[in-house]
Parts: sequence; C-alpha cells; structure tokens
Amino acid sequence: MINSILRFGLIFILLILLQVLLFNNIQFSGYVNPYVYILFILLLPIEIPAWLLLLLSFATGLIIDFFSGSPGMHTFATVFAGFVRPYILRIISLSDGYESGPDPSMLVYGFRWFLSYTLLIVLVHHTTLFYLEVFRFADFFRTLLRVLLSTLFSITFILLIEFYRRGK
Amino acid sequence: MRNLLNFLTRYNNLIIFLFLEGIAFYLLTTGNNYHNSRLLNSVRGMTRGIEARIYNTTSYLSLHEINENLAAENVALKNSIGKLVRKENSLFSTVNDSVNKQQYLHTSAEVIENSINRQKNFFTINKGESQGIKVDMAVISASGVAGVIVGCSKNYSVAMSLLNLDFKLSARIKSNGYFGSLSWDGRDYRYAILSEIPQHVIVNVGDTIETTGYSAIFPEGVIVGTVRDYEKFGGDFYKISILLMTDFKKLHFVDVTGNMKKTEQLELEKLFK
Repeated sequence: MINSILRFGLIFILLILLQVLLFNNIQFSGYVNPYVYILFILLLPIEIPAWLLLLLSFATGLIIDFFSGSPGMHTFATVFAGFVRPYILRIISLSDGYESGPDPSMLVYGFRWFLSYTLLIVLVHHTTLFYLEVFRFADFFRTLLRVLLSTLFSITFILLIEFYRRGK
Repeated sequence: MRNLLNFLTRYNNLIIFLFLEGIAFYLLTTGNNYHNSRLLNSVRGMTRGIEARIYNTTSYLSLHEINENLAAENVALKNSIGKLVRKENSLFSTVNDSVNKQQYLHTSAEVIENSINRQKNFFTINKGESQGIKVDMAVISASGVAGVIVGCSKNYSVAMSLLNLDFKLSARIKSNGYFGSLSWDGRDYRYAILSEIPQHVIVNVGDTIETTGYSAIFPEGVIVGTVRDYEKFGGDFYKISILLMTDFKKLHFVDVTGNMKKTEQLELEKLFK
C-alpha cells in the first residue's frame, strides 16, 4: 500500500515536471499542444474508488493550471476524463475481465488494449480542453483539427514513455 | 430521509463529480477574463521562480540575435534624437517645456515568459509596480505592437498578448487613414485580422497598418503590420488579413509605454457620453 502510494507519487511528480518544463515550452504551433500528464490518470489502479480517482484528477488538473496560467481549464478537462474512465474501462473490457491488482499498463494487457484505452481517454480530455479554451463554437472544425493533431502527439509521447518503462 | 440517504449513497460519485466540475467552472469563468485576471496574476506569482529559471537557460541561445536587434534599435533612436535636436534649434521660442511636451513614458523590460500556442496568450515581463508599470499600459516590441498590461505585482507584470481572442485594438491604414478594429482570430501567430474597413476604401497588399491612439492606451502611429490579403466580408466591409511586424515567437525586449495624459483624455470624454 505504502509502496504503491510512493510509486504513484513519484510518477505524479515526474509527469507534472515533464509537462511543465518540457511540453508546455514546445510551442511548435497552435495546432500541436501535447498534454502527457493525463498518463497519470491512465495509470491509476483499475479498482481505485471512483471518488479517489475524481479527487486525484482534480488535484492533477489544478496543479497543471497553476503552472500554465489557465485557471480551471485543465481542472475541468481532467476531472471529466477521470469521471469517464470507469465507463471506458467497461466498454473496452477484455473477454475474461480485468484481473484485480495490476495497473492498467501496456505490460499487463498488451499494446492493442492500451492503445484503445489511451486513445479514448486522451480524446475525451483533449476535446473538453480545447473547446473550453476557445469557449465558442465558431471555428468548430479548426478546433477539431487542433484536438486531433494534439491527441496524435500526446498518444505518441505517452506510448514512448510506456515503451521506455517496459524496456527497463 | 431514508430515501435521501439512499439517493446520496447511490449517486455520491456523480455528486462529487458535479461538485468538482463546479469549482473548475467557477475558476474558469472568473479567472480568465480580460480585466479580472487577479487570480491569474496571483497564481503566476507562485510559479514565477521556475519560469525565470527556464527563461535564463533559453535566453542564452538567442543572445547573438538579440544583440543585433538592440544595435539596430540604438541606431534608429540616435537618428531620431538627431532629428529632434535640430528641430528644437530652429525654433524661435526659447521656452522648452519638457514636462508638458512629453505625453508617453517609456520603460524597457524583458519578456520572461511567453506563449503563442494557446487561444488566449499572455506573457510576463520582468518589471512591475516598483518600476512604474501600471495596468492598461501598452507593450511595444522593437518592431511593433505586442500587448497590453493586465496585471502587476511588485516586480513583475502580466500582459495580454496581441495573440489573445480578447485583444482588441483600434488600427488604421497609414496611407489613407481609414480605421477599423484589429483582433486575432486564433489561427496563426503571424497574422491578425483588421475588420470594419468599408468596401469603398482602396486597400493594397503591402499597405502599412498602424495604431490610431483613440483608445488612449497605444500611442498614435505605432506599426502593427502590413496588409497580406483582403476579402469582402458581409455587405459593406472588408476583412483584411495583416502580417504582424512583431515576431511573437522571438519576443524578448519590449518597451512599456504609459500615456501620462490618459486620465485627462478619459475624463473629458466621459463628460460627453
């Protein structure tokens, strides 16, 4: 128990540092803004209580907002992603159900499962985030393009991080 | 009562969810406004140490280019001083009232944090109230308009970048004086939109766009950019795409300009509203 709290605490800090120090400074173009900190929400254990998941999502979003100077935006999107995670897990559940214990990582459930899991949650998160940022439906398709491109890049980086973890 | 308790236990996650989203939405709507950026400012105060450190490492890489720009600006300033001095000498009057003559107060500052990839971009500069910076002062880069100060702490200020959906500026075509409203459409950091120019006006690609000074924030005649492209928009107006002079990706040294006669102008205008 203590061990896993320490482990997730470390992942939490590393991901936030990575996001704030590296990915927030990429400024490649307005269309590509990868947000990899969402990986923290992805990695939390499957049987985590829903209320704890929501509170952790809230804390994650709030801290990212602090460092990005965008009050509320990331908080809202991340809490929403945390809220839909149990439903998404149910939708893409394996035929033999989830084992209790292991975290939803690529190591345990394989690449294809992890990819669809990541894709769905990152898409939900990014859609909420980018439409909230523009806060209007004018330029609907341009925002959609931003969502899709950023999702692509976020997933690429998330998979890279996961492959690196597997390689170790 | 029992039903209520049942209801609460059954939907407790939904309630927590709605509660947390409520807080997030409250922060979102109160913290992101144009002039209500106090929260933004105080939040930035906490992360400023880190931002300054990141800036220190990145600024090293562009020193050469910055030096060149500063040298060029120095030359331009020396030239304009030369012109001014000659003009003064040719006057017959010997009274030199330097207090009332000066309308704008300039302070140079460095941009320590900047973004171009959001829809509402802000940047932070390394001067604040102690150096005389106030809210609503204009921020001008060596090449043109950059933003407006929206919040100050003791030693830092946050400015709303021109690359912000909430940014509005009164600008005109230099050659014929017709003015319109300039804003950013959130697409590309190099281009902005000038609207409300009537269709009978002759517009040419490459025309210079400058500020009007009507808003009492920006001095008159600051370069904004050049006309890149224009199209008819609605029945009566043009929608003109402007190539911005300021390269926001390289924004580094800026000039914060305060209008010392702003209150006088605004008070007078208020009488007739």
